[in-house]
Amino acid sequence: MTKFLRKLALLLRRDRFRSELDEEMAFHRAEAEKRFEETGMTPKQARRAAKRQFGNQTRLREQSHEAVAFRFESVWQDLRYALRQMQRAPGFTLAVVLTLALGIGANTAIFSVVHATLLRDLPYPDAARIVRIEDLPLKGTSAEGLTGVPRVFDLQARSKSFSAIGLMYLDTQTLTDGNRLPEHLDIAAVSAPFWRVLGTKPLVGRVFDEREDHANSAPVAVLSYGAWQRLFGGDLAAVGRVVTINRQPTTLIGVMPPTFEMPAQTDLWRPAQLDPAQWSAYRGDGTRWANVFARVKPGITDAAATAELRTLGTQLAVEHPQTDSDWQFRLISLREYLYGQVKPAILVLFAASAVLLLIACLNVGNLMLSRAVGRQQEVALRQALGASRARVTRQLLTEAAMLSLLGGILGCVAASALVRFAAPFLPGVLRAQGAVAQDWLVDWRVDWLVDWPVAGFALAVSLGTAVLVAMAPVWSTGRADLGDALKSAGTRLAGSSGHRARSCFIALQVGLSLVLLVTACLLTESLWKLTQTPLGFVPEHVLTFSLKLPWNSDPASVTRFYDEVQRRLEALPGVKAVGTGILPTSAYNLRVSYDVDWKPRTANQDAISAQSVVISGNYLGALGVPLLAGRPVKPNELTVMVNEEFVRQYLPDRNPLGRHIFFGGPKGDVESREIVGITGDTRGIGGSLARPVQPELYVEALGYQVGRSFVVRSSLPPESLVPAIRGQLRQVDPQQSLGEPRTLDAMVQKSVAQPRLNMALLVAFAAIALTLACVGIYGVVAYSVAQRRQEIGVRMALGASRGQISALFLKRTLASALIGLSCGGAATLLLTRLLRSQLYGVKPNDPLTFLIATLLLLAPVFAASLRPALKAASLDPMEALRTE
Amino acid sequence: MAKKPDLLPGALLPGTLAMLILKTLTRAPLHGYGIALSIKRISDDVLTVEEGSLYPALQRLLVQGWVKAEWKMTETNRRARYYTLTDEGRKQLGLEVSEFERMIAAIGRVLQQPQEA
Repeated sequence: MTKFLRKLALLLRRDRFRSELDEEMAFHRAEAEKRFEETGMTPKQARRAAKRQFGNQTRLREQSHEAVAFRFESVWQDLRYALRQMQRAPGFTLAVVLTLALGIGANTAIFSVVHATLLRDLPYPDAARIVRIEDLPLKGTSAEGLTGVPRVFDLQARSKSFSAIGLMYLDTQTLTDGNRLPEHLDIAAVSAPFWRVLGTKPLVGRVFDEREDHANSAPVAVLSYGAWQRLFGGDLAAVGRVVTINRQPTTLIGVMPPTFEMPAQTDLWRPAQLDPAQWSAYRGDGTRWANVFARVKPGITDAAATAELRTLGTQLAVEHPQTDSDWQFRLISLREYLYGQVKPAILVLFAASAVLLLIACLNVGNLMLSRAVGRQQEVALRQALGASRARVTRQLLTEAAMLSLLGGILGCVAASALVRFAAPFLPGVLRAQGAVAQDWLVDWRVDWLVDWPVAGFALAVSLGTAVLVAMAPVWSTGRADLGDALKSAGTRLAGSSGHRARSCFIALQVGLSLVLLVTACLLTESLWKLTQTPLGFVPEHVLTFSLKLPWNSDPASVTRFYDEVQRRLEALPGVKAVGTGILPTSAYNLRVSYDVDWKPRTANQDAISAQSVVISGNYLGALGVPLLAGRPVKPNELTVMVNEEFVRQYLPDRNPLGRHIFFGGPKGDVESREIVGITGDTRGIGGSLARPVQPELYVEALGYQVGRSFVVRSSLPPESLVPAIRGQLRQVDPQQSLGEPRTLDAMVQKSVAQPRLNMALLVAFAAIALTLACVGIYGVVAYSVAQRRQEIGVRMALGASRGQISALFLKRTLASALIGLSCGGAATLLLTRLLRSQLYGVKPNDPLTFLIATLLLLAPVFAASLRPALKAASLDPMEALRTE
Repeated sequence: MAKKPDLLPGALLPGTLAMLILKTLTRAPLHGYGIALSIKRISDDVLTVEEGSLYPALQRLLVQGWVKAEWKMTETNRRARYYTLTDEGRKQLGLEVSEFERMIAAIGRVLQQPQEA
């Protein structure tokens, strides 16, 4: 301790220490001189002798200094020296820093997404215990895990693994409040336990409990933060107010914080008000629309909870063989539910950015290496003056660390700016849950706990990079022979030295670039197929919107309302066709099982299953779906249309027209509907465009279909119709709001946003990688040409033609590139498996794509090595031999 | 053929310089040159303290707190830095001497073992 203080005191009085030491040594020399004079030397001889005896005064001073100095002082020296080196070579510094900034920046940006989606805690208390219970059919296509309401009640009553089980379904409703125009609201109807499952406290007011979740309790609603700001300007007085929602006076009882996004972009939560008494009889297929979330009790593993769900599922199958026997519960984590779909894409992007960083490191390592060769003399001189190898290594590491930290800082700033700029444009799920929207670099300053992982990651990557990058020069100086290096370097005639390192470099660059290029090509091809495969409908010039009447409206009035709207819209100028039905790319899904008249009927087992599409008006005409045979369905008749896929699956070799399908009627009776028409296949019905087309049934809407989505085809720009439609709607019913007016084109674009983002990022990564690889390979070949000038001269003098000289270099480069291609190809085959779920219409090991990527890679690489190779051939042999 | 001994004539055994400096300072405060001279003289010119190691060693002793330094005038009226042994230094000297003697005794025992015929 006192030793530390003494060192500190000496550090503060460093100048005095130095002058005292100088004086002391001068005194010593003077005394020695005196003694030598006494032995009979001349003063001059005495001085020389004393000096010789004393040795190298600078070194002595440094050693004394080291004895008392702190270790960090030499680090400081290293830093200053590194800074001077950087100033001396600004071009080199700029190239290195920019390359590293690209690599580190790309990694940090992608990592911020990885962190936000796959790593950080979700913004709910003890979120790891929140799960989603999915109900999956044992065969056939899933209804996206949605569960039938009676089964939810059964789970609530019987399961012991969960502290709460809540359900949620999505709805749209209309808010009217005083003189304000009717407002369309996206609503989540949830059961009271839902709040205990998620556990988030409201920002203002309270949430509802079981007493308010009964069929006849007074309506209440909890606002989302966004709706609170949008509708009430964040006014605290909004809580406690009574507004009219779907023509019912509803009390607003609370506001949730902005981080509470279950589901994302909802306006308010209201009690689902489902009673077991009402619903227990409803066990049909058509009642699967509940999202079920549950909180696992402490001490119970997910495996135990899953096992219990299996048991309960089997019990229910036994008790209700007709409805429940083909279904099984599954448990997934909340994170899996929210981000499971984008996880492969994110991981692919993360891997790609890591490959990009590796390429950047290789390039910088190569730059450092050629610089190290240039600095061999300097390093040798330092070693001759007594610097140990460890000291020199530390110096080189310090330089590399400074460069990569600079690159890291630059990359971080760029990544932060990019994430901040890009966040609002990110596709759906990445934007929701406040995931990537936060500007982490700024947040980091305000509340550094929030995003220190991202900043820490960037720092770790920078330091790791420094070590990687410093390896090359350290290795090369370690091997250098001191004496050789001190003599003017580069007199070697044979060019073989470093040949293996260069081959490795070229092979690695080519291999890594191939990985990125193939991935980028696959994603591009996939997106191309996704958007260019005929959709089955014509998205241009179509406006869509939705309307919703209260669920308890009288069926006759519902039909009247929609007929009137249909009639008025058709009369609007510029409108060509109007209809209602499912909007393509919207996640509406209703797969129903039916009995049919062309198959034998078995007890408790339906013959076919198909997506049911309820339409009215000229839905097919408005959407642009062709009618292939027969005629469309009409109101008030028992008819149905089917799509081509339906025919392909269920009636491949018979005339479908005139066959009958049995429907469950509204009162438990059976209706027989005749197939009167066949429509073309439409992609995107029931979700993603990438989903294979389902067998579909088209039936005319009835009075109990209170909510409908409109499709309006017009010759005018679709958006321009909105005010006119609003006006007409107001005349029909002043309480109605116009929901989600969008063009069909925009909906289609939105549905391919994620694949487009993946593709754009990977193409950018691949382009950067290709550029870096070409620059690097050009540098390497050019360097080797320069190094082997004399050899070239000798070869030419011995009769080699210019073509042979060029071929010599080209052959070497291309041989290494081929090794890289084969290794890279193998690695790519392994990696692209990750991509499988992200691809549409193209296989991850598509040979044509591999070929295209290889050609895309080889062409510029060939060009990059051709230039220096040609330059080698144009050398003047006399000059080449003379230079020495 | 016998080689020259590993130790160069006049070179110090490694690790003994600090002990020698401390011992020299037990009699009177001395300046650096005086210390070197004193060691050389007392050892009958067998031990030579090189300036190259003397001054770094002195700095180390200062930092450890085993010696103190102050500027004084010499008999010839020049300013010189005199080093004085501190109490801590005296204690350290005791430690080092006993350790050194233990070492020498051990080496002696090994060397005195009768040679096998």
